[in-house]
Amino acid sequence: MSRTTLSTTRRSLLGAGAAAGALGLAACVPPDSTTPGGGGSDGEAQGGSALVPEDASLEGTEISILDDNTNLVFKEGLIETFQQETGIIVKNYEMANFNDLHDRFATAFAAQDASIDVVMTWAGWSAEFGQAGWLQELSPEAIPDDLIRPALDAVSWDSTVYGLPKFASVQTMFWNKEHYAAAGLDPDTAPETWDEFVEAAKATTIDGRYGYCCDMGNPAGAYQNFLRSLLLAGGELYTADWTPQLDSEAGIEGLTKMVELLHLHKAMDPASLQITNASDLIEVFSQGRTSSVFNWPFQWASATAEGAVTSAETTGNGLIPGIAVRSASIDGSEGYAISTFSTNKQAALKWLQFASGATAQKQIVEKEGWFPVSQATLEDPATLEALPVVATYEQATEHPVQRYGTPWSNELDQLLSVQVFRAMNQEAEPAEALKTAQQELLPIVEKYMG
Amino acid sequence: MTRRTLTAGERGDRRFAILAASPAVLTIGALFLYPLLYAVMLSLYQMNDKLPGATQFVGLWNYAQIATDANFRQALVRTLVFSIFTVLGGVALAVGIARLLQHPFRGRNLARVLLLVPWAVPPVVNGIMWKLIFDGTYGVANSALAGLGLIGRPIQWLADPELIMGVLILSEVWKLTPFLALMTIASMQAIPSNIYRAAAIDGAGSWAQFWKVTLPNLRGTLMFLLIVQSMWSIKVFDTIYVLTGGSGGPAEATTTVNFLAYLTTFSYLDRGYGAAMSITIMGIVIATTIFWILLLGRRKEKST
Repeated sequence: MSRTTLSTTRRSLLGAGAAAGALGLAACVPPDSTTPGGGGSDGEAQGGSALVPEDASLEGTEISILDDNTNLVFKEGLIETFQQETGIIVKNYEMANFNDLHDRFATAFAAQDASIDVVMTWAGWSAEFGQAGWLQELSPEAIPDDLIRPALDAVSWDSTVYGLPKFASVQTMFWNKEHYAAAGLDPDTAPETWDEFVEAAKATTIDGRYGYCCDMGNPAGAYQNFLRSLLLAGGELYTADWTPQLDSEAGIEGLTKMVELLHLHKAMDPASLQITNASDLIEVFSQGRTSSVFNWPFQWASATAEGAVTSAETTGNGLIPGIAVRSASIDGSEGYAISTFSTNKQAALKWLQFASGATAQKQIVEKEGWFPVSQATLEDPATLEALPVVATYEQATEHPVQRYGTPWSNELDQLLSVQVFRAMNQEAEPAEALKTAQQELLPIVEKYMG
Repeated sequence: MTRRTLTAGERGDRRFAILAASPAVLTIGALFLYPLLYAVMLSLYQMNDKLPGATQFVGLWNYAQIATDANFRQALVRTLVFSIFTVLGGVALAVGIARLLQHPFRGRNLARVLLLVPWAVPPVVNGIMWKLIFDGTYGVANSALAGLGLIGRPIQWLADPELIMGVLILSEVWKLTPFLALMTIASMQAIPSNIYRAAAIDGAGSWAQFWKVTLPNLRGTLMFLLIVQSMWSIKVFDTIYVLTGGSGGPAEATTTVNFLAYLTTFSYLDRGYGAAMSITIMGIVIATTIFWILLLGRRKEKST
């Protein structure tokens, strides 16, 4: 091949490359902004019509369940009970770490995997996977009458119910009575206002132990802690038309209080910024390494379990002290939903109903310390006897309790955590950080809500 | 040029060759080419699973978006910082270790075996190990520093956006350096000893021998190591996932381009844009490979 031929070929290649580039640029087709977004009504994966319970025998039908690792009672007897009661066989019951489940579900759903019939869900995933058309909508006939509203909200999105709750959960305050007494505080009375709480946290911060600790080490934790602060300051995260209120006065005040607790009052354990889940936080309290936490109800079971430094006598439980309101909290209820791709939906529905029914609820309350999802179980005197913190739960629900599970929860968690960290690390004022987060969130909400 | 007619035996050999190679070709096709082509196709669509009604062909629109995406740009900068330390630092450290292990000393064989230990540790275990070492409350790092009187209060290594990148770099270098060092040792052993003898006769000291004899003879190996380490660094995922609890935090401080592609695809369910990011990352890996080949390959041509 001659030199001339080679250079001609190179030029030809360059020309072809330029032409391909030009064609490529011409092939940039802006997405049609008028295309309807959410609703999950036009996608290939659809929930279809709402699932209505049928009376047909399901004897011998097999189902597979993918759960988080929150509840052991199913594996330790309830599955057996379910099989005996219904004749349905639980072919596979797998428990996985909560932080890993989202990706497993997303992968399975995207692949239209029919091998999983029942999935664990909560407010964020119900909205996200429900909007994607991956969760089976339930008809009103499939929903028990006496379910507690916040628990049902955790399996619903946009007025559609995608599952049934398995336990209710609201964060309350837990404090170490011994630490309080040693600091000269009344060990039997929870602080009622934020100022009282700060004084108590400061008084119990001694010898390298901090008066307060939380779990904001990952995006979901940062969101939860910010949301709780915003609610305590009397705010709401969205307006009725889903306009975000991150940089509202309440949002700024709430975040400012958290920053002050860490840097000004030095009463928050700096490790709070690296603790990534409630289970680790529970251990911090149960081992006596912090004097107070705002945590989920199973903190009680852990704090009173064998091996804990704390006990029922030394653990106090009460409402979270408010900043601008008496109290407020966040919801963490969980439930089960049926995969759209399941071929055993009636049997799967039986599992959902079993988990929210009296037999399972009794064990979840008594053995694991979660709140029940049915009004009847909640009002049963045996429940209060088995789980004293139920009394606080009932008080907490008289105050604002929210979670705001939305299809954009993951995006919000991620962008908000960056700004919360900037504020907590004093790289930005809370107002500036939240303004940035608000500006970033607005187009995301617009994308999903149109 | 006229085509020669194949004999019956040659045709039989060719058929057998095709038959023998077909399982490998089919496997590669199924495990590599199909996903690759599918990813390329996905990248040409707006496809967000949470907006199922809005799926549409957008051509190269996703790529145009990446070019102006501030998040991707920031992730690229983090990837660059991470790669500079792990690629250049890792390879330099490997050469240093290899040089040390070239010298005969008592226990050298044991040292060479022990060198392999970090390489044998599974990536997830490696991440967990470093997470425990640098835990702000229980970590050995804080205990050791406090024991030496260097710190008064625990450092939150994993909660500080500036410190966690250092932890990430350290854990990756610790994991990958043994492989790099092993390759370098093997290459050093292949350098003829008479070259060193000739250099010594010419009066070259050990430092001069290293610069004038060892390094030039390692050029091919170094090019290979720089290429593979660059690939690994750009594609780093598992250690970040374990160290940060799957978040790429704190404050996105460890969100590299590959991790951002993961978040976009699996957390935000934006599969079209995530696929475009993945293809872009593949382009970056190829470009980096070409860069090293041009840089070191050409020098080799000149030197020969």
